Amino acid sequence: MIVLERASYRYPGTPAWVLDSVSLKVGAGEVVGVRGANESGKTTLCLVASGLAPAVVGGELRGHVLVDGRPTVELRPHELALRCGVLFDNPAVQITGLHRTVAGEVAFGPCNIGLPVAEVHERAGAALAMLGIGHLASRDPQHLSGGEAQLVAMAGLLALRPAYLALDEPTSRLDPERAALVAEAIVRMAAGGTGVLLTEHDEALLARLCTRVVEL
Amino acid sequence: MALSVAWGGWVAGAVLVVSAVAALRAHRLRRLALAAAALLPVALSSLLINALLPAGGGGVAGALAALLRLLGATLPPALLFATTEAGDLLSELEARGLGRRAVFVIGAALAAVPRTQARATEVIDAQRARGLDTEGSWRRRLRGVLPLVAPLVIGSLAEVEERALALEVRAFGAPGRRTVLRRLPDSRWQRAARRALAGLLVAGLLTRLAVAVVAR
Repeated sequence: MIVLERASYRYPGTPAWVLDSVSLKVGAGEVVGVRGANESGKTTLCLVASGLAPAVVGGELRGHVLVDGRPTVELRPHELALRCGVLFDNPAVQITGLHRTVAGEVAFGPCNIGLPVAEVHERAGAALAMLGIGHLASRDPQHLSGGEAQLVAMAGLLALRPAYLALDEPTSRLDPERAALVAEAIVRMAAGGTGVLLTEHDEALLARLCTRVVEL
Repeated sequence: MALSVAWGGWVAGAVLVVSAVAALRAHRLRRLALAAAALLPVALSSLLINALLPAGGGGVAGALAALLRLLGATLPPALLFATTEAGDLLSELEARGLGRRAVFVIGAALAAVPRTQARATEVIDAQRARGLDTEGSWRRRLRGVLPLVAPLVIGSLAEVEERALALEVRAFGAPGRRTVLRRLPDSRWQRAARRALAGLLVAGLLTRLAVAVVAR
C-alpha cells in the first residue's frame, strides 16, 4: 500500500509548499483518482507518492510517505521504480531516443534490471499487448503520434511490473479511442492487483475508473 | 620537419584510401564524399593561410598535408556512422563492458542533433504563427534568429530534468549489468582486422615518435 501521512513537499530553492499536509492511501488493486485545478499539485503528488520527490528531484518532504511499509526516503531510485512507476503528462520525454523500435524502447526498463533476454521479450510483449499496441512493436519510437507515444511510455512502465502506478493525466493527449484503451488497461491492471493513483481532469473517466476520488 | 610532414601526409593518405575502399564496399561512397565536401571551407582557408600569408609558412604542400590529416581524422568516424546504426554501436559497446551511463551519454549525444532539429522546427513554427519573419533578406533572417534561441535553449535545458526523471522511473540506476538484447555477428576476419588495425595504430605512433627523434 502507498501511504501518505500529512505529507508536505516543496521543491528545492522555493519557499512555497506545493503539497500541504496531504493524507492518502492507495491499496493493491485500487484506483484512486485525484482531481484539482491546474497548479494544484497533481504532478507533484505523483512524484511524492512514487518517492521520486525528494529522492531524485530534491526538495523538502515533511510527514511520511510509505510504499509497502517502507519510507520512500530510505529507498534508492531504482528500488522505487520497481515499486511505483510514474507516467508524466508529457510522454515525449519518457521516450529515451536510444532505440530504433518500440519493442526495444519498452524493453529498456527490464534490460536495466538485468533480466534474462527471454523474460525481457516476454514482459515487453505483454506490456504492448495489454495496451493494444502490439502492432507498433517494430515502429520507430521517434515517429509516433502524441497518443501513441503516451501508450508506449506507459508500456515501458508496465514492463517493469511495479506494484503501483502514478499516472499523471494519462489521457490528456489521446483521442477518445486511445483514451478508452488506456482506461481498459487501467481496469485490467487494477484487476491484476496493481494499485493506481490517477490524476485527471476528466470527471467522467474518474467516475468510471476510480474506487474513490480525492480533491487536491 | 619536412620528413615529419611528409610522413604524416602519407599515413593520412593511406587512411583515406582505406576509408574510400571500405565506403565503396559498403555502398556509402556518396556519404563519404559529402563529409569530405563539408571540409571545403576549412581546406580553402588552410590553403590561403599556408600559401599566401607569411605566418602560415607551409606553402601549398603544407596546406595539402594539413588537409590530408584533417580528412584522415574526420572521414573514418564519418564512415563509421554512415555504416553503423547508433543502436548497434551502443549495444556492442555495452556488451563489451562500457558502463550504462557512458553508453547513455554517447547515445544521447548522437540523438541530440535530430532532437534539437525537431525542437527548432517546432519553435520556428510557433514563432512564425506569432508573426515572426524568418524568411527574406539575411538581415531579416538574422533578426529572426534571436527570438528562436531563448525558447530552444531554455526548452532543452528544462527537458533535461524531465528526461532524467524518466530514466530513473525506468530503473536506469539499477546496479549490475544491463541485459543486451542483440549481439551483432562478429566473424574471425573482423576480429583479425580489428587486431591488425590496433597494431597499425601502435606501429604508426611508434614510427612517428622515432621519425621525430631522428629529425631532431
